[in-house]
Parts: sequence; structure tokens; C-alpha cells
Amino acid sequence: MHFPLSAGDPGSTDILAIANNPFLWFCALGVFAVIFIQTILYVRAAKAAAPHVDMPLREVKEAFRAGAVASIGPSLSVVLVAIALLALFGTPAVLVRIGLIGSASTETASANLAAQSMGAILGGENYTQQVFAVAFMAMSLSGAMWMLCTLLLTPVLKRGGKSLAKRNPAAMALIPTAALLGAFSMLTIAEIPKSSIHMMLVLISAASMAFFLFLAKVLHAKWLKEWALGFAILISITAGYLMHTA
Amino acid sequence: MSTPTLTNADASMARFESQTTRYGSLTMTAGLILSLLGPIYLVFFSGLQISPSMLLVALAAVAATFGVFWIVEPLTYFPILGSAAMYQAFMIGNISNKLLPAAIVAQSAIDAKPGTRRGDLAAVMAIGGAATVHLTSLLVFVGIFGSWLVSVIPTEMIEVARVYILPSLMGAVLVQAIVAMKQVRPTIVAIALSLIMYFVVIPLLPSLALFGTALVVLFSIIVSWIVRDRKAIHTPAAD
Repeated sequence: MHFPLSAGDPGSTDILAIANNPFLWFCALGVFAVIFIQTILYVRAAKAAAPHVDMPLREVKEAFRAGAVASIGPSLSVVLVAIALLALFGTPAVLVRIGLIGSASTETASANLAAQSMGAILGGENYTQQVFAVAFMAMSLSGAMWMLCTLLLTPVLKRGGKSLAKRNPAAMALIPTAALLGAFSMLTIAEIPKSSIHMMLVLISAASMAFFLFLAKVLHAKWLKEWALGFAILISITAGYLMHTA
Repeated sequence: MSTPTLTNADASMARFESQTTRYGSLTMTAGLILSLLGPIYLVFFSGLQISPSMLLVALAAVAATFGVFWIVEPLTYFPILGSAAMYQAFMIGNISNKLLPAAIVAQSAIDAKPGTRRGDLAAVMAIGGAATVHLTSLLVFVGIFGSWLVSVIPTEMIEVARVYILPSLMGAVLVQAIVAMKQVRPTIVAIALSLIMYFVVIPLLPSLALFGTALVVLFSIIVSWIVRDRKAIHTPAAD
């Protein structure tokens, strides 16, 4: 394990000296490139299939735009959190682990667990280059396991879904709806007891969305349906800022 | 696109699925390898004197907390995403806080239901749109201007974003999902089950907390099926 191709110092706490290494940048940009390529291939495949399932190209484009607009708010929030973590992990690791594959909460928790297993805490005085490398490896392996399980389970689930669709099409129509509602009810309700501000924000965010959707319907403003999520997040997070600093 | 084999909807969807499975698994494998190359380089080739036991202990610590999710999350999200979008979602990340909301917005924008053909295509396109915005904003705001932004953005603002983004997002997404689905019984079932899970079951059996969302999803499906409106005229899944 001693092939010092780059000058790492196990005991140094200058994390950024190795965390911004050019090879890490190369790998991070590689992941970006892979996702861009995947997006292009998928969009082409969807465009080719759409006209055959009564989905005009106009709707295909609209779905792309709606997805892009809806993700502005969530993306910017990820950006803000990612920036805050730059000092801990360096830019390449933050881009791949926080920005892409994982999410801020999972990956920071993983890194913290790994650091603790070496008797250090993130950003603490024992947070050396060695601890950082182990934490980065542990997060990455954990993320890799997620992808591996997805690669292995998806074909199996797909076969299961197909045979169920044949035997019981009514169930197949209901399952995605029920699953989605179940997931988001639970994710929402889990936020409520965290603090009184959390509870208020859930209500403000829900009320804003209801208001914008109502407005979109009354005014026949389709664009508002797409922007509603961004507006609701903005209103709610501003309220959070005011309550937090008050 | 003018080949006669593609004239019917089944054939073109089958083609879409086999294409996305091939592209999806190839790109995901590439992403998996690239994401490991960086840390492998640091750990083994940077003279940091890391022993295999350090790695094993660290991975065990992470696996003890998150190992369950490696399997449970793909199982939970598959019924919502469908097979094509699975390969996008688990590589792009931020699934529940970004990709699924984007998919719901897109489906409601064109009045498509999840799990239908139009719904699946809309989800794939929405995730494509979300990925484009996300990659661009990460590259620009974190990759290029990150170190500068961190010095100008007040830490308080970053702290507020970190702590309060989820409640600010989830309330709105839940409302949008309810309105988009227009399914009264599954909505009531899902909310009731979540309340029971969070305020009754988990306090009694705290070890179930890790499976909370997955269990609510599973039971929402089962109970919604049991209480479904049998009188409603059933429209075929083809939309």
C-alpha cells in the first residue's frame, strides 16, 4: 500500500491538498459525462416511443421542461448544502457524493460513521488526510452497493411487474399511485414532529402549493403548475429563515 | 421510426424498455466504476498508509446503518419509477427530494398517471430535464464558483437551507401528488397509515424506524387494493 504517486500525508489535516487532486476531478467529471450520455440516450428512446402510445412530441417536450423547472428549487437547495460541505470533502467528492449519486444527509452520515470508526469526527482536529480517504472510500462503497442492488433487482422486479400486469391489470394500475402516495405521506409526516418550525413549514408549503394549483386551474395557467413547486419552496424556506432568525 | 414493427404501441414500448435497460445498466455500471476509482486512487496510491482493516471497520460502520437501504430503497421506489427510470434515479441521486417531485409535476402537466405508458415516458423525460438542470447548476455553482460562493453566502442562509429544505419541499409535493393522482381512497389510506406508522408503530417498536417508509408503501398498496372502488369502470392501463 505504499505507492506514493501523489504526495499524501496520512497525519496532515490539510484535507484539500489531496481532496482537490486532478485525478479525483477527472473521475468526478467522468460521472457527470456518464449521466449526460445516459440522459441523451434515454430522451432519444422516449421520443422514439412516444408517438406510438398517443403521446405527441409536444407532450414529450413539455414533460422534459416540467421536470427541469420543477427541479430548480430542489437543485439549488442541494447546491447550497453542497457548498457548505466543500471544506470537509473538497470539490470532486462533494460533486459526486452529495450532488449526484447520494444525498447530503445520507453521505454526510456515512462519512461521519466512517470517521468515528477511526476515532475522529468530520472537521475535528483528528480529521486527517487518512481519515478523509477512508471516509470517502466508505461513502463510495456504500453508494456503489446501492447501484449494485439496483442493477441486480431491477430486472427481477421488472419480470414480476410484467407477470402481475398480465394476471391482474387492475392491480398494476393501482400500485404506482398507492406507492407514491404512501412514500410522500410518510416523508411529509416524518418532518412534522422535528420542531414547531418544521410543522409550520410543512403547512405553509402545502398551503402555497394548494393555492398555486387552484390559481393555475382558475386562470388556466399551465406554466404555473410547473413553477408551483419552486414558488412553494421559496415561500416556505423564506418563512423558515424569518422564523429561524427571529 | 418508420419500420412497420413499430406501428403498434406494445412493440414500441417493448423496444423502449429493452433500449433503456441496455443503456441504463451500461451507464450505471460505468458510473459505479468511475465513482470508485477516485477513492481507490486515494486509498491505495497516495501514500496515506491505510490498512485493509481500517476500510473494513469503516464500511461495517456504514453498512450497519445504511445496508438495509441498499436493498429496501430500490424495492420501495421501483413501483413508482418503473424499470427505465430506476437506472436514472439511483445514479443521479436525491430521489425523493428532487427526481420524484419532478416526475409528479411532469405527469400532472400532461395529465398522465404513474405506471401507465405515458406516465412512464413522462417520468423518464422529467428526470432527464431534472438531471440537465441539476448537472448544470452543480457544475457552475459548486464546481466553478463553489469556493467563491462559500465566502459570500451567509452561513445562516446555508444552515436554514440545510435544516428546513425537507419540510418546505415535502408539504408541497404531497399536495401536488394528491391533486395529480385524484384518487381519494388511496390518499386517505396512505395518510392514515403514515400517521399510524409514525405515531403508534415506531414509538412501540423503534427498530422498525428504518423500514418505516418501505412498510407504509407496501401497506398502502395492499390496503388500497382491499378498499378499492369496485364499482368504478375500469379503464385499461394503456391510457
